[in-house]
Amino acid sequence: MGKHTMSLKLKRRAFLQIATAASLAAPFVRPAAAAGDTATIGWPNDVPSWDPNQRFTPDAQPIFKAVYDQPLDQDPQLKLIPHLIKNWTLAPDATSMAVELRDDVTFHNGDKMTTEDFRYTFLERIRSGVKLDTANSWKRVDDIVIESPSKATMKFSAPDPTAPQWMAFLGSYIVPKKYIESGGLDNFLKKPVGTGPYRLAEYELNSRIVLERDDSYWGPKAKVARVTIEIIKDPSARVAAIQSGQADFTLNVPVREVQRFQSEGGFAAELNPITRVILLQVRADLNFADQNVRLAAHHAIDKAALSKAFYGGAAVPLSVVATPGSPGYLPDFSFKYDPELARQLLAKSGHGPSNPVKIGLAATNGQFPSDYDMARAIVQMWQKVGIAADLQIIEYAKYFELNRASKLPEATLYSWDNATGDPEIFSGYLLNPKMPFSAWKDEAVGGKVLKLFNVANYDARIAGYRDVERFAVEQGATIPLLQSVLTVVRKKNLQYTKYGNGWVLPQTLQWS
Amino acid sequence: MLVIVAKLVARRLLAAVPILLVVSALLFCVLRLLPVDPAAMSLPTTATIAEIEAKRREMGLDRPLPEQYLIWLSDALHGNFGRSIQFGREAGSLVAATLPATIQLAGAAMVLAAIFGLGGGLLLFHLRGTWFEAVTDIVSILLLSIPEFLWGLILLFVFGVALHALPFTGAVSPNLPQPHVTGFLLIDALLVGRLDVFASAFRHLILPALALGLAFSPAIMRVLRSSLFDVYHEDYIQQARLRGLSERQILLGHALKNAALPTLTLAGVQFGILFSGTLLVEVIYSYPGMGNLMVDAVRNADLPLIEAIGLTYCVAVLLINTVVDSLYVVLNPKLRVR
Repeated sequence: MGKHTMSLKLKRRAFLQIATAASLAAPFVRPAAAAGDTATIGWPNDVPSWDPNQRFTPDAQPIFKAVYDQPLDQDPQLKLIPHLIKNWTLAPDATSMAVELRDDVTFHNGDKMTTEDFRYTFLERIRSGVKLDTANSWKRVDDIVIESPSKATMKFSAPDPTAPQWMAFLGSYIVPKKYIESGGLDNFLKKPVGTGPYRLAEYELNSRIVLERDDSYWGPKAKVARVTIEIIKDPSARVAAIQSGQADFTLNVPVREVQRFQSEGGFAAELNPITRVILLQVRADLNFADQNVRLAAHHAIDKAALSKAFYGGAAVPLSVVATPGSPGYLPDFSFKYDPELARQLLAKSGHGPSNPVKIGLAATNGQFPSDYDMARAIVQMWQKVGIAADLQIIEYAKYFELNRASKLPEATLYSWDNATGDPEIFSGYLLNPKMPFSAWKDEAVGGKVLKLFNVANYDARIAGYRDVERFAVEQGATIPLLQSVLTVVRKKNLQYTKYGNGWVLPQTLQWS
Repeated sequence: MLVIVAKLVARRLLAAVPILLVVSALLFCVLRLLPVDPAAMSLPTTATIAEIEAKRREMGLDRPLPEQYLIWLSDALHGNFGRSIQFGREAGSLVAATLPATIQLAGAAMVLAAIFGLGGGLLLFHLRGTWFEAVTDIVSILLLSIPEFLWGLILLFVFGVALHALPFTGAVSPNLPQPHVTGFLLIDALLVGRLDVFASAFRHLILPALALGLAFSPAIMRVLRSSLFDVYHEDYIQQARLRGLSERQILLGHALKNAALPTLTLAGVQFGILFSGTLLVEVIYSYPGMGNLMVDAVRNADLPLIEAIGLTYCVAVLLINTVVDSLYVVLNPKLRVR
């Protein structure tokens, strides 16, 4: 009898436990039939707005590319390829560009995409006074002459040699003229309409974005019908989301977590080198006025050790401000790690471990993976050769103000993203003294860079940048460190296309 | 009593005006003195230094600080907090869109904090003089030392990752829609008759509310216990015993009501702190509230948005204090006489 009672009690308890667990877990059980049609991505940031021309936010580009289309596109190796534009011809002096658009593209509301929309996007709405970041990137557009619904010519007020690259870069998405003009901008922001492979089905600020496949898309159809992008800003929470099954795919998680997931079954965890460089932005004055000190600071840094310590060895050490495979990269040029040479250079200037040269090093903490830890490691490396660096933490937003006021220290640890891979957007922007991120204000390098902004011939331009990149490093005008990596953790059976610039495009997701 | 409370509320609201002016001036000045450049942040990466200077002039950043403040204040009084640098939308509309979620979270957390705080306080008091007292004392101190974000992470990993028992991202499951009527998701789900959305929103609220509630309940717990100790030394408790009332009747009928006054004061202060504590918890749980928005604003030096959110927090704390003071008057007859 006693035994029977105990058995009953146990059964009841077990039943209650199972029932409770089942009721709590029920919302997370994905219906098996829907598994191939849906995917959830844990994404680090929300889009700034649904106007894709409004803000240059690199993290938002893959989401925009799901809803909108760019005139040109890049393949996974970052080669420029036709997209909405079938053919393009940049004039030899780069003062005009003729384009031919596809004639089989419609917006999600059914309106046909034509050169009217192209003109509206790259000229009319910029001139209308709407605050758009594209107003800056396309400020040289004087006119867009429409020749037919699919043919037009862009006229530039000054040579614009990187116009084709910008057609596939930040903010360059064709928006619907008729829809925006008839319904108003607010309506467009609430119910955005693009020509991309997905329609925006639902959007909750800072929470989630739901994309539904557009079955009438002109290009290859997306494999996953419904993609939910959960905005999860905290890296630990993104790790937890994929671990618990609340997300199928996530990115920008700590490197150590990737290494942990690599040993767990059911997950694929990757450290993918991308077109983002980590470098030291340096000044040409203060205690870095002495070239010996700048070069010694560069020779003293063991980049391979930094990569191993902070990126599992996946971040490629760089000798120039360009990533391997990009046009401006110099595979035969190497700036060696040589602490002894660094000591000799410092000795020439009267410094050494017993009489260190004092400099400042600014770094962000959390702006990109392991930034602060890397800065600390560099301080240690410098200390060994006779450079005493005072490490200061700055917010990324402070960089511009400090640079503008000439208050940055001798060196600043910086990360720079360039999805196109074009050298103008690497060393061109970083060493152009007229741009706000350039800490180097010396004309010897800056003058060479400025001239290249007007070189129309592609080959001559690239060759010019290769020379500048080498020259800048030899002058100590920049200290490139590593090619950054994108961390990705996904369910093993959820495939995607890997892009050299780190794009994770929802339309390339596919369950296997 | 209603008249007294109404007068008190009116007085409090009048006093709130200069407080808000001082806070807004402080907020404005501190943000303007920070070495960040909103002009550079509001322009694309391709902007030149000359273009940034032009933008600074356009934004009025080249004018004297008092003039900048007066312009901002005048606009703010007309409900215009400026356009968010990061989102390109009116800062006020962004705050309005996210405030209900934060109120919902803070409200749920306060209810849990009150339940745990009152329950725990009574338990601590009940165990006085026993060998359990030392243990519970240590436990309550331990709980007091755990901040809300740590509770957030602990609960997330225990109930979210290890047990797979509760969701921890967002406000509702990805496969369910989010109705918009009042902005308060739980209420909206009921208004549109979606019990599945209500259940999902409720589940999504549990962990963040629990993290906040657990962080703020130990203080309530300990103050209630101390207050009860004090009250039990009062003569009227002895007289109640002499009248033959049971310990339960004494506690619930006399002691608790008097011990509740300092506890309520503390709870009011705690609720103000709890409201700002939503910031980190919302980030950890990807909860789409105002705290989450604040993190974005700070990260992007989005001054108009920071100012709008900062003032909203200030207004919220002032309102909470007014409500607590009103409750105090309701509970304490002495204050009514005065």
